[in-house]
Amino acid sequence: MDAVATMTKTAPLPAAAAPAGRRWRAWGVFVGVTVLGLFVPMVLTSGFHLGLLINGIVLGIAAVGIGFLMHQCGLVMFGVAAFIGLPAYLLGIFSNHLNLALPAAAALALLGSTAFAALTGALVVRARPLPFAMLTLALAQMLKSAATLQALRPLTGGDDGLTMTLSGSLFGLNAAALSKAASFWPLAWVALCAVMFIAWRAAHSRFGQVLRATQANEERMRFSGFDTVWPRLLAFVLSAFIVSIAGLLMALHSAFASPELLDFATGGHALVAMLVGGGATVGGPLLGALLYTWGQDAFGATGYLELLTGIAVVVMIAAFPQGAMGFLLKLFRRRQ
Amino acid sequence: MDWSQLFSVAQLANALALASLLTILASGLALIFGLRDVMNFGHGAFYMLGAYAGYSVGKLLGFWAALIVVPLLLAVVGAVFELAVLRPLQKRSHMDVALVTFGLALIIGPAVHKVWGTVPLSVEPPPVLAGSVQLFGTMYPAYRLFLIAVGFGTCLALAGWLKFTRSGMYTRAVSQQPHVARMMGVNTDRLSLLVVCLGIAFAGLAGVLAGPYLSVDPGMGASILISCLIVVVVGGLGSIGGAIAAALVYGFIQVIGTVLFPSLAVLAPYLLLFGVLLWRPQGFGRGRVA
Repeated sequence: MDAVATMTKTAPLPAAAAPAGRRWRAWGVFVGVTVLGLFVPMVLTSGFHLGLLINGIVLGIAAVGIGFLMHQCGLVMFGVAAFIGLPAYLLGIFSNHLNLALPAAAALALLGSTAFAALTGALVVRARPLPFAMLTLALAQMLKSAATLQALRPLTGGDDGLTMTLSGSLFGLNAAALSKAASFWPLAWVALCAVMFIAWRAAHSRFGQVLRATQANEERMRFSGFDTVWPRLLAFVLSAFIVSIAGLLMALHSAFASPELLDFATGGHALVAMLVGGGATVGGPLLGALLYTWGQDAFGATGYLELLTGIAVVVMIAAFPQGAMGFLLKLFRRRQ
Repeated sequence: MDWSQLFSVAQLANALALASLLTILASGLALIFGLRDVMNFGHGAFYMLGAYAGYSVGKLLGFWAALIVVPLLLAVVGAVFELAVLRPLQKRSHMDVALVTFGLALIIGPAVHKVWGTVPLSVEPPPVLAGSVQLFGTMYPAYRLFLIAVGFGTCLALAGWLKFTRSGMYTRAVSQQPHVARMMGVNTDRLSLLVVCLGIAFAGLAGVLAGPYLSVDPGMGASILISCLIVVVVGGLGSIGGAIAAALVYGFIQVIGTVLFPSLAVLAPYLLLFGVLLWRPQGFGRGRVA
């Protein structure tokens, strides 16, 4: 089958094909990095830089989510903001109006956002890539308009945004601890590691192979007896779920949701970060997000934030077709 | 709810005025998409550049001169855009190029603010069009009628060019089947230079026309870009006829929505996009540039 043949050429072999020893070593490295990462606040004592790093990895989570969808299905979600803002608003509404404690509110917010993704996904994943991108953008804009509707003002706070009163504690962190960078860090870090693992695992499973083969030649997959819509829907839901985690983390950290979260620009950050880093690997979007957050801080200090961001985006994309990660990998392979 | 408002001549004309502005912009966007397969996210920024340039040229030489000079200036910008951005990147994925144009929009925006400041500017319509005219018993601003006339005049001219000239025929051919057209000896690079210049010049024209109709402000590019993208996608990617139809529908839906359900009107364009794409994923049009 041509589709699978081209796919195996470009994609790394599934993990199952690796020798058992290498697999265990990979596991060891993964667990080691996860545990070591927990101690970052001890090394990085500056609250400002830690906060910046948190912004970077939360943006990284969102970027991993859209990178997965782009690389596996060839679908680019323009309306990333929909799944960043929705869980944030849901968290606020659940804790302010239903007086739910943190774990329940957070879980329901995540669930609600994922369910919304499943419902809308059933409609939008049938579209071709560009209409798909536009449809998701429309979704985000619709949510933004809904959040600022005068009729929903008591619920969403309208243009002023929604200040949340979070009660109870999530994984031993109460509202005050969540807002502090040092105590929030472990939650964000573990979430990042979990998300990267999920995305990597899904990409290297049979599911990922089916997705990439469908992307290469959907018609051929269909008459080879594969269902092509369900896997794509599942990928969309997974991607939206990952992005929702990022949105939820942002809301937990700031205890605030505003219509800006649903703005195209918010999604634009994640999109640019993903493309700057390169979507082909799980690490690429994270690298892109870190670079992007660092760049935003450095450019913001000069007062020409937009101008310099624009120049950086143009230069990065024009100069590194595979993203920063792809460039580094190529460099690394050549050295070997 | 006042139904009678809906059928007034003024509302009809308002819808047409919005539609004609969108048509000019969207047909440029559709042309570039048809030929280069690039969704130009910088279109809103070029439109804004056109509006600000129109303000300055209008102050120096008057509105009528601006209407001619600014599109020509923007055509030069379009040539640079094609030669420096689109041509070197033509082998890259659509998303990469789209993001580069998005980055360009980020660059043009602050550059424009640097030159003209961030205070909204107002442009007066030329004296001939300053007043109102009697239109089927209601008074209506003459400038908007002019806008409608220019909008649809431009569309007719564009349709005529595509239909009856050799370069127009080549444009349609390349949009349909770029490889075959190239094999038959069409110089696609030269053609795309022409089409991108034209598309960007249209954005400039729309900017000048928008001056007296809307105000010239820093957010004008971003706000119209999304409307434009919706129009182009609803119209069928790269289809000019579809884009014109979609712009009309968009104008009417926006105006009707504002009259009937003011609080929900902001949602109307997105509902339109959703409805059309789910019903007809390829949009209104029958195909590329037709």
